[in-house]
Amino acid sequence: MSEVFTKSMARNIYYGGSAFFILLFLALTFDTASEVPKRDNHEAITEQVALGKKVWEENNCIGCHTLLGEGAYFAPELGNVYTRFGESTEAIIGFIQSRPVEGIPGRRSMPQFNLSDEELQAIAQFLKYVNGINTSGWPPNIQG
Amino acid sequence: MKYQSQAVAKPYFIAAIGLFIGQILFGLIMGMQYVAGDFLFPEIPFNVARMVHTNLLIVWLLFGFMGAAYFLVPEESERELHSPLLAKILFWVFLVAGALTVLGYLLVPYARLAELTMNDLLPTMGREFLEQPTITKIGIVIVALGFVYNIGVTILAGRKTVVSLVLLTGLVGLAVLFLFSFYNPVNVVNDKFYWWWVVHLWVEGVWELILASILAFVLIKVTGVDREVIEKWMYVIIAMALISGLIGTGHHYFWIGAPEYWQWWGSIFSALEPIPFFMMTVFAFNMVNRRRREHPNKAAVLWALGTAVMAFLGAGVWGFLHTLAPVNYYTHGSQLTAAHGHMAFYGAYVMIVLTIISYSMPILRGQKAGSPRAQKVEIWSFWLMTLSMVFITLFLTGAGIQQILLQRYTDNPLPFMVVQDKIEMFYWMREGAGVVFLVGLILYVSAFFVKGGEREEITDSSGMASATSS
Amino acid sequence: METVANPPAATGRQDLPGDFAIWIFIFAELLVFGIFFLAYAFARAGNVELFNEYQQYLDRETGAINTLLLITSSFFVVRAVNAIKRNAVASCVRWLGFAVLSGAVFAGLKLTEFAARHADGITLSTNTFYMFYLSLTFFHFMHVLMGMVILTAVAVKAHRGDYSAANHTGVETGASYWHMVDLVWIVLFPLVYVMH
Repeated sequence: MSEVFTKSMARNIYYGGSAFFILLFLALTFDTASEVPKRDNHEAITEQVALGKKVWEENNCIGCHTLLGEGAYFAPELGNVYTRFGESTEAIIGFIQSRPVEGIPGRRSMPQFNLSDEELQAIAQFLKYVNGINTSGWPPNIQG
Repeated sequence: MKYQSQAVAKPYFIAAIGLFIGQILFGLIMGMQYVAGDFLFPEIPFNVARMVHTNLLIVWLLFGFMGAAYFLVPEESERELHSPLLAKILFWVFLVAGALTVLGYLLVPYARLAELTMNDLLPTMGREFLEQPTITKIGIVIVALGFVYNIGVTILAGRKTVVSLVLLTGLVGLAVLFLFSFYNPVNVVNDKFYWWWVVHLWVEGVWELILASILAFVLIKVTGVDREVIEKWMYVIIAMALISGLIGTGHHYFWIGAPEYWQWWGSIFSALEPIPFFMMTVFAFNMVNRRRREHPNKAAVLWALGTAVMAFLGAGVWGFLHTLAPVNYYTHGSQLTAAHGHMAFYGAYVMIVLTIISYSMPILRGQKAGSPRAQKVEIWSFWLMTLSMVFITLFLTGAGIQQILLQRYTDNPLPFMVVQDKIEMFYWMREGAGVVFLVGLILYVSAFFVKGGEREEITDSSGMASATSS
Repeated sequence: METVANPPAATGRQDLPGDFAIWIFIFAELLVFGIFFLAYAFARAGNVELFNEYQQYLDRETGAINTLLLITSSFFVVRAVNAIKRNAVASCVRWLGFAVLSGAVFAGLKLTEFAARHADGITLSTNTFYMFYLSLTFFHFMHVLMGMVILTAVAVKAHRGDYSAANHTGVETGASYWHMVDLVWIVLFPLVYVMH
């Protein structure tokens, strides 16, 4: 077989192809950056929401729940919990507050995080903000 | 061992296996919590166990990659490592930092850990896989920089091979992309968008370069096939991996608030992502079939082939199953995602690290290969771990499909927790498979201690033929 | 037509011209475009009216000129390959230069087209038709640029005397890639600009 297959050509394709697709990815990222503000519900971001995100992170909520489908799959999706709880931040707060310290025998239970009133309000507002992000219709239904 | 300094790889590999055991134990705890929700509650809540499980995975794989680099770079570069001392110091820094972080997860509530480590100054905690305190993240960056420096200087000063240069590219990419873990805006869409630049561009980008170079190195050694041939194909495979994988990031951008065109771009390019994995499988089997020598380390050859097959199944096939946007609409964030995650991580990255350990550990201990009895035990552990992972994946896939049918793809969707009760049987079977996996892992470790049978003793660095011909 | 001037050395060769590595790449690229075209057809089937409506606003004249430009440039590239097989290095470099020049005119026209769309405020998110139109043409546009880089590199190497009748694989490799870029446009143009 007189076929030619050289390492230098394979190398050129690796470098050329990578550079090509890095540039393309950056171009799409650039476009995304200008489109995201139309969908991300940033108008709803307040000091309180920022605090809520901190509460969300510092209690590792993502370690059990998903948020917009990302996270752990042990506990319900929370990206749409505001809708699921009847658009009530009070219902969210009530749920978090009512978790028993020792759990529920034989069942999964959310830990009692002993959040302050300010933190409870903030996490609820954060979840309300996330609920307002345009996620192209995901999740398919209210159960997440 | 051709070069004295390769010996620094040994503690890295030992630490990797030690942490691997920890990872599996916490995996079993979580598996138990899936069926008995109050197991170890409130002492070790699920989120803590999961954090330990995933973080240990990442840390031990990094230990494995570093050990692999310390082992293969001197041999490829044909010179001693730039600074074995630096490698030893970084080993202890990384191990202590890792251990302290895990202890922090286990001993104090996460919120308290955030407070103690002053997360307020630069909040980066509490995002999936990036839960480490900011100070640990900074530590990781420092260790990575020192490591890349040490490896980089060695490579650039010595013989430059494709294997070592691609490995270096992968390691530099790993370090650079990790910097995005410090970007944590309040805006959830942007947070998630760039979070994937760490997570996806690691596992479906630069880590694949590391995987390919380790695999190529082992194949060159165990098959004796001409380096030119192996390196040529390696270039083609990683080119395909990056071509499909970079824009393939888009399959994570379907439902997080990013523009809708990602549904098209992400679907189209991630549909191609199985191709490089398929090529890798064909390539690995081809090279082994064309081998010019019978390497005594049969176990290492098996691990290498296993990596190629399982990476294709886990990352390629199980990834493709739910990567197209119309399918992903129903599968996103279900147990199907977990199924894919388990087999892909095991097949691609766990197995490649076990491959290089299997190949290099006997050499680091002054033998060319383990004794036939030790290899037999190791091969048993290969099949136990690999098959139990196949079953874990199948059971989680079953759980995922039923979850989707009850909770997503139906006119009468049931609440999440109700559905979880209905798919409990799958979780029990998954836990059973997990126990078998642990048995396999114990066998794997015990293979290092099996004595007996004839050994091919080799002498250290004195230039005896059998040592250097490998 | 390249086999006509083939040196007798090859024994009735049926293998692909140029380096095999580029063919793996070409197949991969054709696969991407192929899937993209299928996706286009699939999306169009669900939105025929939308696609037909917005297709009217595309600049078909420039598209036609661009088609001619690329076909012509492919001809130049064929001439370059034939030239190097005759050891006519200067001629090979010249034909490659013409091909790159045609590519540059194509790229220039394409840029004015993009600029006009941009001025109208059309983006990837405007509607599904524009998403496909911009994605496909921009993705192809990047391939034209890539092809120009490759042909330029080949021309420089040819000029340095790296190629000859006996060793012309490099020229064939660059030519193969350029023909692929041309081929994709020949499918893309009628599909997106013309077909109702």
